[in-house]
Amino acid sequence: MNRFVQLGADIAKLWARYGTSYLSGIRNTLVLALVATLIGCVIGFICGILQTIPHPKTDHPVKRFFLTLIRGIIRVYVEVFRGTPMVLQAVFVYYGLPYFSGNTLQFQSVWLAAILVVSVNTGAYMAETVRGGILSIDPGQTEGAKAIGMNHWQTMLYVILPQALRNILPQIGNNFIINVKDTSVMFIISFTEFFAVHRGAVGATYLYFPSAVIEMAGYLCMTLVASFLLRWWEKKLDGDDSYSLATGDQLAPTAGMLNHPGKGSNFDERNREFREAAKNRNFSSRGER
Amino acid sequence: MAETILQVQHLSKSFGANAVLKDIDFSVSPRDVTCIIGASGSGKSTLLRCVNLLETPTSGDILFHGKKINGKGVRASEYRTHVGMVFQSFNLFSNMTVLENCMVGQTKVLKKSRQEAEANAMKYLEKVGMAPYIHARPRQISGGQKQRVAIARALAMNPELLLFDEPTSALDPEMVGEVLSVMRDLAREGTTMIVVTHEMAFARDVSNHVVFMADGVICEEGSPGQIFENPRQARTKEFLSRFLEG
Repeated sequence: MNRFVQLGADIAKLWARYGTSYLSGIRNTLVLALVATLIGCVIGFICGILQTIPHPKTDHPVKRFFLTLIRGIIRVYVEVFRGTPMVLQAVFVYYGLPYFSGNTLQFQSVWLAAILVVSVNTGAYMAETVRGGILSIDPGQTEGAKAIGMNHWQTMLYVILPQALRNILPQIGNNFIINVKDTSVMFIISFTEFFAVHRGAVGATYLYFPSAVIEMAGYLCMTLVASFLLRWWEKKLDGDDSYSLATGDQLAPTAGMLNHPGKGSNFDERNREFREAAKNRNFSSRGER
Repeated sequence: MAETILQVQHLSKSFGANAVLKDIDFSVSPRDVTCIIGASGSGKSTLLRCVNLLETPTSGDILFHGKKINGKGVRASEYRTHVGMVFQSFNLFSNMTVLENCMVGQTKVLKKSRQEAEANAMKYLEKVGMAPYIHARPRQISGGQKQRVAIARALAMNPELLLFDEPTSALDPEMVGEVLSVMRDLAREGTTMIVVTHEMAFARDVSNHVVFMADGVICEEGSPGQIFENPRQARTKEFLSRFLEG
């Protein structure tokens, strides 16, 4: 028990000294994850749309060549950035630029480098997710849109993408939560996010475990809030479960809503036999009591 | 003879080595109600989809008001605004409400204002009896209701020609009637329609031109009286007798 008391005291000590650092770390982590996920989504949507442009054999050869080229480039991009660790990509980009330009070109801010790496990485995953999301929409939706005269872009923009977005929202949420946690590797280019604060704090105090507790709690809080907000957004996109009938007169039954029993049937209250039977039922139930 | 809206000339369509349509010729004049009947797999739906360019014909011409619309240099999307289509599986946009389904084509394709589009959409939704359901989403209404909305969506584009691809085949028997009665009203008002259907009674009573297809060719065509009372071809007789018995 006293270990817990000790832990509480240590955490309080850490928080007193590094509280603002932890908080600013959380802020940096959230901003980086949010911005990078958004940019990553945009990259993913662009790649996904470009990959799903139909290229029938009847099209002009030049157009077909360009479409095939674009597909090839996207494929390489996806495979390279999905297939290498993000921590290495960060080093590669951050130190590669000055190395090749003889130190004349450098990243002016570590923010820029971090956002670039994380969003390009997210984009690689999102490209495939968006492609899957588009393919999951029933081809009938495309035909319906084409039949009222929409072109490819209008069909995508107004019919397919809104539905694909709804379908891949859980996956976007996944990516955001992964980004909240995985931006911790950005300490390698000395970006001071939440985990970098931990490294700084324990370097000075050696309170490894208490600081780790703060980190755990902090990351969990961020991801739980994110999950909650994403669920809420999903529900919002689904729209209401019920709908209101648009009749001027609230009491007027709409055609087909009321089902009158057939005249003369056993359930028709105007039927004499029904009334007789009802009377008998009332009598017998009274008699039993 | 009145000016024809649509002319199909020597139309053929193959999927690989499989020839689905072989040298089809027919034409549609204003106010015509043409019913295309025939067994499943005879190419009826493919023909209709070719007319709307959802399938690209392998050879042959499709003329709309005398202008060729298949082949290079023609914007299929522009042509399709003049030709409405109603599908067997409704294909209502599931991310929109009933009203939005009927408005999106007008606002985004025809670039009408929202007020104008809404008024027009309401006009046709009232016509098909779906005005009370404008706030519902497609997943919340029945098949017959969906198909009536789909008809309103097509009508809201004010097309010159309306194509129906087996509009009642995916419906429960009790919902077929509500859709057919809407289509009957449209025919009575002089809407030009091509209807691919298995509803023989509808073809007989409502259409003024019946096309019987078998194995990718037009086997016989003529007035409903001629096709249903006096079929000349043996295949037509055989097909119709199966329907009349069943």
